[in-house]
Formats: sequence, structure tokens, C-alpha cells
Amino acid sequence: MSEHSSPAESHGPITRAGALSASVAAHDHDGGHGDAHADGHGDDHGSHGGIGQYLAVFAALCVLTTMSFLTYSSVWPWRDEPHVGWAFMMAVSCTKAMLVVLFFMHVLWEANWKYVLTIPAAMMAIFLALMLIPDVGMRNRMAAQERVLHMARPSDVLLMERAAESQMLADPASH
Amino acid sequence: MNASAHSIPHGHDDRDAHGHDDHGGGHGHIVLQYQPGLPLSKGKLIMWLFLSTEIMFFAALLGSYVVLRFGAAVWPKPHHVHLSEPIGAFNTFVLICSSVTIVLALEAAKANKVAMAKNWMLATLLLGCLFLGIKGYEYSAKFSHGIYPAQPHSRIYEKPDLYYGAAVRARLGEPAIIEQLKELDDTPEEKLSSDEASARRRLQKIRQMVVSPDQQPFDLAVVADQIMPLPSEGTGGHGGHTEGLNDTFPWLRLPAVIPGGNMWASTYFLLTGFHAIHVAVGLLVFAILLTYRLDRKRAGMIENAGLYWHFVDLVWIFLFPLLYLF
Repeated sequence: MSEHSSPAESHGPITRAGALSASVAAHDHDGGHGDAHADGHGDDHGSHGGIGQYLAVFAALCVLTTMSFLTYSSVWPWRDEPHVGWAFMMAVSCTKAMLVVLFFMHVLWEANWKYVLTIPAAMMAIFLALMLIPDVGMRNRMAAQERVLHMARPSDVLLMERAAESQMLADPASH
Repeated sequence: MNASAHSIPHGHDDRDAHGHDDHGGGHGHIVLQYQPGLPLSKGKLIMWLFLSTEIMFFAALLGSYVVLRFGAAVWPKPHHVHLSEPIGAFNTFVLICSSVTIVLALEAAKANKVAMAKNWMLATLLLGCLFLGIKGYEYSAKFSHGIYPAQPHSRIYEKPDLYYGAAVRARLGEPAIIEQLKELDDTPEEKLSSDEASARRRLQKIRQMVVSPDQQPFDLAVVADQIMPLPSEGTGGHGGHTEGLNDTFPWLRLPAVIPGGNMWASTYFLLTGFHAIHVAVGLLVFAILLTYRLDRKRAGMIENAGLYWHFVDLVWIFLFPLLYLF
């Protein structure tokens, strides 16, 4: 865009190091440079994505979705150990997320600015979630009597399960 | 940003550089361009800044969900709240497909294939609509079971206690329901299907149980189970769904018991609701983009819309296992 077509005029001192690194960065990155730049390197830009590569990523995403769906099916061997399934699904989800971010969002081919924007946001995100643990995650450790009285407890689930098994209202015609 | 762009040749100081430029030379020199700020277009920079705020937004939502879920004494199984895993998996597939089509639209626009870009964009729009349609169907299934994020629509009770019994009695005592019950009682047995006849007998027993003075605590659990049973885990989907009275007689709309169901409903509707809003905004952007000629000049716009759409896909990638499979 216009930053590349401006005439060479010195408004002030430019450090050589700054100019160099800026230039290197400018050449590293692909999109948004305007027509002149895009025309010169049109083929380059096509190749880093490549329809075939996108379709390969798509296939990988489909396979990964099926894999996490596997934990729901009867094939899954760790049905009694939910933690195994959770860890597995999170690993699959993170892999899928990385595939989408790196290939579909072109982050793999972006210059180093990607770290400037994503790392602080990611750190903030993790910090946010961690800060919820003491107040929200442990809220039932020392809950008020009234809350304990009204909240569902595992014994209520057991009660419901026993009610479902009981033949108290058994109706020979119904089943 | 653009006002202060300069070009100087490599290996000379500034004064030398201008000397060369004035002569119209510069061939064989590397032309350096000074560019303060991040080396990307403004639109893309703003989109990425926006996305980094979105990362924090959804991280807060997902983080609170995880923390609430694992901090809760009881959390309902997906079947207890009538979630269908195959539908969720299919929706994941739909969003992944739409992510591919928007990437293909961008590639077509970069190659100046205008018609192709438009078709891929249209495909993305339709897939997004399909996603929202399926989501709407899922929502309506929740609503029909009385699962709403809040009172007064929500008919979810945490446990079969005295409050629950009182709520069932109150519902059965409503004039409209008394009328309907009377009509049901007067219907001759032949006019009812076998399911309905059985349900009528059970309903009559329940009506006695909730008003009985020598009611046992366990009775209310049996009542709750008859009104809306919690499907057991092994049954899988709707195949093994045992019908409750609320299903056989939809007009009953009696209070139901789902342990942990209220917190679940709050988080589910908040998470999927915010995600659905993001999908809707993305669809609006695609609809607007479709009115343009999608050639190389629009590649930047398509790229930014695509970045947003991939992010929406990304959120769903985490939402699907967290909500449907955990």
C-alpha cells in the first residue's frame, strides 16, 4: 500500500539497524503489500498455501474430529477412566487448533510480528483461567450451609438412578 | 505510518543514498524501506489485534466453564441434558468444511478467479447457515425439555426434594392443567395408544404420590424419574431414550430433575450463544463481501474475514469436546 510508494525523503535520522530489520521483515511477510508487490511474487504466494496442502490439512482435521468422537463410541477402551478421554480430547483439540492457526490462518508463513500479538494474548488467557480457580473452582470447598442444602450432590444422582431401577410404578403394558 | 516511509540503499550513509537516487541509479542496490510499526497492512493488524482480544474473551468463557464444571459437586452427563454427540460432531465437520471453503475463496481471489472466489464464498455462507440451523434445532430440543438458562422458562430442579414436590403440585394444580387432566381421564381406553394408556396410569399414581401425606423422600425421586428420566450412559442418543410423561403428554410440562442441570444450562447457553453470535457476524461479513467483485484487490478483505472465520472455527474445536464429550 502507500507506505511503499512514498518518495524517499528524510524527515529525521533513521538508524541503519532499524531500516534493515524493517526491510527484512517486510520481505518475509506476504499479504497486503498492494498490487506492485503481489504481481512480482504472485507465484510465491500461491505456493505457500497450495490447494493440495489445504486439502491435506482438511483431511487431517476430519480424521482428528473422528478420533475425538471415538471416545464417545463403544470402541474406546478407557470408558471407566474419564481422565484418559479428557486428556486425549484436549490433545486432539490442541492439534486441530494448531493446524487451523498455522495453515488456514497462514501464521506459519507470517513474520515475527505474530509472536508480538499472540503470545501476550495467550499468556493473558491462561492467567485469566488460572485466576478463576480459587474463587470459582473451589467454591464448594467451604460453601455456606444453605448452598450445600440446595445444591445437587452425588447422593442425589444415586437416588435418581435407584428410582429409575425401582419397579415401584412398574407397568406390564409399558415395556 | 505511511508518511514516514523512506528508501535508502544498503551500504551507504543517508547522504550517499540520496546522491544515488537523484542520478536515477539504484540498480544493483537493495532498496530498503523504513516502516515503523508491524510489517503488515492496517486491516490485518487491526483484525489480529481484535482476534487477540477475542482469544482472551473466549479463554475467560471457556476457563470459567472448565473451572465451574470441575468445581461442581455434580455435573450432568451429556445424555442427561439431551445432548446428541453425533449432531455436535457433524456441526464440527460443517465448520471445518467452511474453513476450507473460505481459504479456497481467498486463493481464488488471489489468482483473480472472480467467479470461483464468489462460489467458494457462497459455499462458506451456506455452510455457516447450516451450522446455525443445526444449532437452532439443538436449542429447540433443549427448550422442549424445559432446559432454559434461567427462570421462569426453566423447569429444571437440582434434586428431588420438597421444593421439587411443591413445584410439581403447583403445576398440577394450575386450572389449565386440571382441565387437560380431566379430559385425559375421561378419554376411553380404546382411544389411547398403548404408550398413552400406560403413561396415563403412571400419571395418576404420580398425582397421588405428590399429594400423599405419608410421602417418603424416595417417592419424589420416582416421580422425577417418571416425568423425565435421566437416560443412562450406555443407551447412546435417542435410540435408548426412555420416554417420560413430559414426552408422552407435551402439554404437561412438569418440572424435571437434572442434578447440576441449572449450572450446566447457564454455561451451555452462554458459550454456544456467544459462539453463535460470532458465527452470525461472520455470515453478515460474507454476505457483504458477496456484493463485491472478489478479485485480487479484495484479497486483503477476504483474508481478514477468513482470519475471523478461522478463529470462530477454532473456538468450536474446543467447545465441541468440552460440551459434548466431557
